[in-house]
Amino acid sequence: MGFRDVLSPFTAWKHVIDTPVTIKNPIGREAAERYRGFHQNDVDKCIGCGSCEDICQNAAIDMVAFAEPKPGDSGLRPNIDYGRCCWCALCVDVCMTGSLTMSNEYTWVDSDPDAFRFTPGVDAKPWDDIEKGYQRAGERMLTGLARPEMVEMAPEARADNFDEIVAGYSREQAVLEADRCVECGLCVATCPAHMDIPDYIAAIREGDYDLGTQILYETNPFSEVCGRVCTHKCETVCAAAHEGEPIAIRWLKRHIIDNVSEERRLEIVGTPQVASSGRKVAVIGAGPAGLTTAYDLARSGHKVVVYEAKDQPGGMTRYGIPEYRLPYDALDRDINVIKAQGVEIKTGVRIGNDIALDKLKAENDAVVLAIGLHLGRSTRVPGSDGAGVEAAIDLLARVTAGEAVPVPEKVAVIGGGNVAMDIARTMGRLQMQKYGKVGVTVTALEDFDHFLADKEEVKESFEEQIEILDGRGPQEVVRFKSGKQKGMVKGLKTWKVVSIFDRDGRFAPQYDEGDEVVHEAEMVIEAIGQMADVSLLGAELTEALEWNRGRIAVDAEGRTSEAWLWAGGDAVRGPDVIHAVADGHRIAASVNVALMAGKEAGA
Amino acid sequence: MDMRELIERLTSRHKLGAPIFQRPDLTFVDLTDNDRLRALLVELRDIEGFTHLVLLTAVDWIEEGKFQLTYMLNNRAANQTLGLRVYLERKDPVEFTSIHDIWPTAETYQRELREMFGINFPGSPRVMDEFILEGWTDMPPYRRDFDTLAYSQQTYRDRPGRATNDPRDHMKSKMYPEG
Repeated sequence: MGFRDVLSPFTAWKHVIDTPVTIKNPIGREAAERYRGFHQNDVDKCIGCGSCEDICQNAAIDMVAFAEPKPGDSGLRPNIDYGRCCWCALCVDVCMTGSLTMSNEYTWVDSDPDAFRFTPGVDAKPWDDIEKGYQRAGERMLTGLARPEMVEMAPEARADNFDEIVAGYSREQAVLEADRCVECGLCVATCPAHMDIPDYIAAIREGDYDLGTQILYETNPFSEVCGRVCTHKCETVCAAAHEGEPIAIRWLKRHIIDNVSEERRLEIVGTPQVASSGRKVAVIGAGPAGLTTAYDLARSGHKVVVYEAKDQPGGMTRYGIPEYRLPYDALDRDINVIKAQGVEIKTGVRIGNDIALDKLKAENDAVVLAIGLHLGRSTRVPGSDGAGVEAAIDLLARVTAGEAVPVPEKVAVIGGGNVAMDIARTMGRLQMQKYGKVGVTVTALEDFDHFLADKEEVKESFEEQIEILDGRGPQEVVRFKSGKQKGMVKGLKTWKVVSIFDRDGRFAPQYDEGDEVVHEAEMVIEAIGQMADVSLLGAELTEALEWNRGRIAVDAEGRTSEAWLWAGGDAVRGPDVIHAVADGHRIAASVNVALMAGKEAGA
Repeated sequence: MDMRELIERLTSRHKLGAPIFQRPDLTFVDLTDNDRLRALLVELRDIEGFTHLVLLTAVDWIEEGKFQLTYMLNNRAANQTLGLRVYLERKDPVEFTSIHDIWPTAETYQRELREMFGINFPGSPRVMDEFILEGWTDMPPYRRDFDTLAYSQQTYRDRPGRATNDPRDHMKSKMYPEG
């Protein structure tokens, strides 16, 4: 020990009169500005996705019921056990909405250990309104904000043909996108068919496309179709959409089916594994609702014959949706798997004309009506009767059937929904082929802020040189009054829309008559909605059936007021593919129960 | 002190990777020849003025099958910090040369790394003694393949009365129970 070591303890005494750096009473001392203290949760912003629970490495979080679930919100909220929490803040970092934060409060004394299990934001705490504390710097970073950009055909390349526009994701893109999904499953309730979305996205991540296909087929035999043209309501409630883009669920579905050959699909899905029930079902209409019903019933062992008036099966997915959105061979692959279940599809057979409905009733144990919406509605404005005015739905069907349709240089379309976009873009393509330029004007009642057609449809229409005028109401189809062209269509007269609905929300458009435009056109196409052609029912059955605002009334299972007859799909629910698929499943389940009950009763 | 000049000077005798000049006072560089670590450290300490070992830490690059060790050195006079990084093969047993004789404080860091990452430094005093984990029998917990959640569930009991709900199943039971 040296001299210095002996002296040094005494040198400390020189500090004896300094102000102490320690704090006499540390209780109540405020923590640092970004301290990870007690949790706060904005329960109105929280959607109960449970990502905080999943990421917690201490299993400290439970999701507990707080409110009734609603679309996009499970109604659950995180309850945290402070006996396990280590305040690492991963839950704050992963939070999909940014609702979960931490205050800088760090003292809490209680003699009841269970008090330290609490639901932030629900159980009021003194730190609820403290602004200081840990919050994510900026937007969420643990899962990406943007989806990979889809490769699409350039407008110039697609303007004069019906080739499919969207290329589909590559494996690399799909994995990147699948990795953004937190698998909360909030989307499942919103999907009309309740597809197991998180499960098939997980299958993509694992690279197991066979499993993915199997999962798709458990809830939907139209994955080729829905992977392309589904209205994807699931994406509107996606947790990722609160900050950033929703997961591209529709494109991921398509990615699975793109990676499994038709042969392999048949192996995975297989054929009915039950003994034949000896029961017979007739389905009228080979669209998604009818064919989904047929698929399920065939797999339950029943003999199903589908009657289709048109030359090809598919219904509106073939005759309504243009080929550039849904190629026919993709649709055929879906239908082939359904046929492989023993479903017989008789095309070109119109019930009512070729075979009487009574005959079907007599020869089958059940009849399912899935006839779709194939009659175009008319505006009935002056001049709308007669040559040169077409229904969009008729024209689309004729183009699909390969019939020659009139293609004038200038066309006016009435309507602002997806069908209006479909016919405008179809006519634009035909005009490009014939004249090398597009001459289509779409007039829609709604303004662009309240537009009915999908945003992508509008964007792509503009790219294809379609003129879209919003907030314009049709008044008259103007015809030549004299001369060589007397009686032929000259144009469409529209007025500016002031309002569409009255105070009670009823459809009663008001116009500014001073703002009148005649859009020059040789053909006017009406795309303002469709109706079901129920003439096949005949007078007696039409009288006997219960109706609901012009549609056949059905119960939750799709049963009509006649015990032998079920009805569903667009004709009953309104136009939407995935709703039709969901309806098909419901009807099939109901028919199956009825058939099996009848069998046991020996009927 | 010009760090670019320093790196250039060192590169003539040591195998270094591309330097990262992160801040005017902070530089990182990889040493690709692990056997030369001690020689380089001694040179930095005795000739280049990096007299202080700020810290010694590790990163588990499990995907690449490597552990990274970072020796943070400080030259107080020049107000410069240098992060010298070496990479070890990530296969057991993992051992690396001890530097406790160059900086005695390294002993504590090496004890911590042995406990948290399972990287041993033979010859380092008390290196096998427990550091902060008392009675630890599991895999070193800072290794990325250590399952924190599973460990926590096995080791600590839940308070009675805890119950959770899966959002998807909960919504199904409330919104469409029939399927």
